[in-house]
Amino acid sequence: MNGTRRWADHVRIILICWRATVAAEFQYQANFLAGLTLSIFWMVWAAAGLAVYFQFTGDLLGWTYPELLVVTGLFFTVNGIRQAVLQPNLQQITEYVRLGTLDFLLTKPADTQLLVTLRRLNVGNLLDPGLGLIFIVVGFVLSDAPVGWNLLTFLLLFATSLLALYALMVLLMAMAVHLIGGTELQQIAYGAVELARFPVQLYRDPFQAVLTVVPVVLLTTLPAEALLGRLSPYWLVAGPAITAVSLVVSRLAWLRVLRAYSGASA
Amino acid sequence: MAETVASIAALTRAAATTATAYRGRLLAGLLTTFFPLLLMAVWLTVVATSGPPRGWTAPDFISYYAAASLLWHLSGQNVIWQWDEDIRGGDFSIRLLRPVHPFWQYAANDLGQRLVMLGLAAPVFVAATLVLPQLGYHLTAVRLLATVVAVLLAYAVSITMASLVALLGFWSTQTTNLWMLWWGLGSFASGWIAPLEVMPGWLRSTAEWLPFRTTMGFPVELMTGRLSAAETAFGFAVGLGWLALFTVLYLVVWKPGVRRHQAVGG
Repeated sequence: MNGTRRWADHVRIILICWRATVAAEFQYQANFLAGLTLSIFWMVWAAAGLAVYFQFTGDLLGWTYPELLVVTGLFFTVNGIRQAVLQPNLQQITEYVRLGTLDFLLTKPADTQLLVTLRRLNVGNLLDPGLGLIFIVVGFVLSDAPVGWNLLTFLLLFATSLLALYALMVLLMAMAVHLIGGTELQQIAYGAVELARFPVQLYRDPFQAVLTVVPVVLLTTLPAEALLGRLSPYWLVAGPAITAVSLVVSRLAWLRVLRAYSGASA
Repeated sequence: MAETVASIAALTRAAATTATAYRGRLLAGLLTTFFPLLLMAVWLTVVATSGPPRGWTAPDFISYYAAASLLWHLSGQNVIWQWDEDIRGGDFSIRLLRPVHPFWQYAANDLGQRLVMLGLAAPVFVAATLVLPQLGYHLTAVRLLATVVAVLLAYAVSITMASLVALLGFWSTQTTNLWMLWWGLGSFASGWIAPLEVMPGWLRSTAEWLPFRTTMGFPVELMTGRLSAAETAFGFAVGLGWLALFTVLYLVVWKPGVRRHQAVGG
């Protein structure tokens, strides 16, 4: 099969899965509205929480209030995607292994990694990335950042951020098949994204160094710096490179786990 | 009465034993200890960039948040997730058949887990106070005793408050969302977002009358030696007042609630 057709097929499959899961979840409209209300509440909560620090200072190690709003917006976007995509699928995978559904999925003619990582959606958080975008735009406008190449570098590093999150997800999926412990892995994902609520500079060394090596810095700090036009050019190469390596490593880990997997239904 | 006490003790022991069986879950729970320390990191940045806010130095913040991270484990709010799940899933009917009131079943279950968690976290905390010069509590015997009582009061208020909100599950299926709104608003008045002393004056003077401070800020402030005898007495009075009010409300709401309860599943 030729490469582009295979990609197109996979996109189509995922879209079909999403249409089904969205249709199923929209039967519970009150749930959706409650989720949306809660998301808006947490955004206001975060913005008010940040304001407490700025009673005493105009900027935190070079980050002003509007600039931190950009980071908060990115946090809500990434965290929303974690809740909408990563959480429901990671919850399912332990069930797939326990009930033997994974054996069935393996026989399908599509890539299993794609099926298990992107099959489900949690509709309650689906609008969070949109809400996050509001903070990103507001923060950007208020911060007097230049408009130019930075928008392009932002898009690059934003894509990098989402792919890094996906690599983490695949790695957790592989661990879930191996360990069959969903709750703890959810906590790891939650913790990793929660660290990205603030730019890594605010943690200062030695934690800043640790979060740069364990690439939490990719999730919100780098895209925010890119948008504000103060990303050191070195990250333009290093960010995507680290993400690419993470994607390859997570893919290899997934394949390795599948090779060791002996099936549950047989 | 004696039988109830014996049952509660047995349930607590059983929950503690179960908790030690799931080591991964225990570890994930312990990892959440670090969340208050993230907020601490930001305050240390504030101190470093623009001097101690309202006289709070770096050691003040470190002592405050170290104690807060320990107390976080006693927040008691986990019971609401259990109530919610049981009422919706039908397991609540089984709980009603048991000779001990469900409140005590959930409370004992939570207490058992908390004791295991504290058993692991407290020695680390004590060791840290001995090693780190920044952690100075200068506890007198009287203050230590008062702190222990304040911590018990914090747990009692917090678990009664959560159970009261859980009772609304007889009328609505959205109690966990409601609780998150309640907790989110309360986190500004409890000392969780920031110590109340660095909050705006109007918020601080309101928070002193609210139940949230009892659950976190009050015991921590007491332990760090920031309260005079009069302030301590006032804090205890407010806490006991809320405990009494929540208990009465719980008893009032319980009767019509349980009558409304329609058993699901079984």
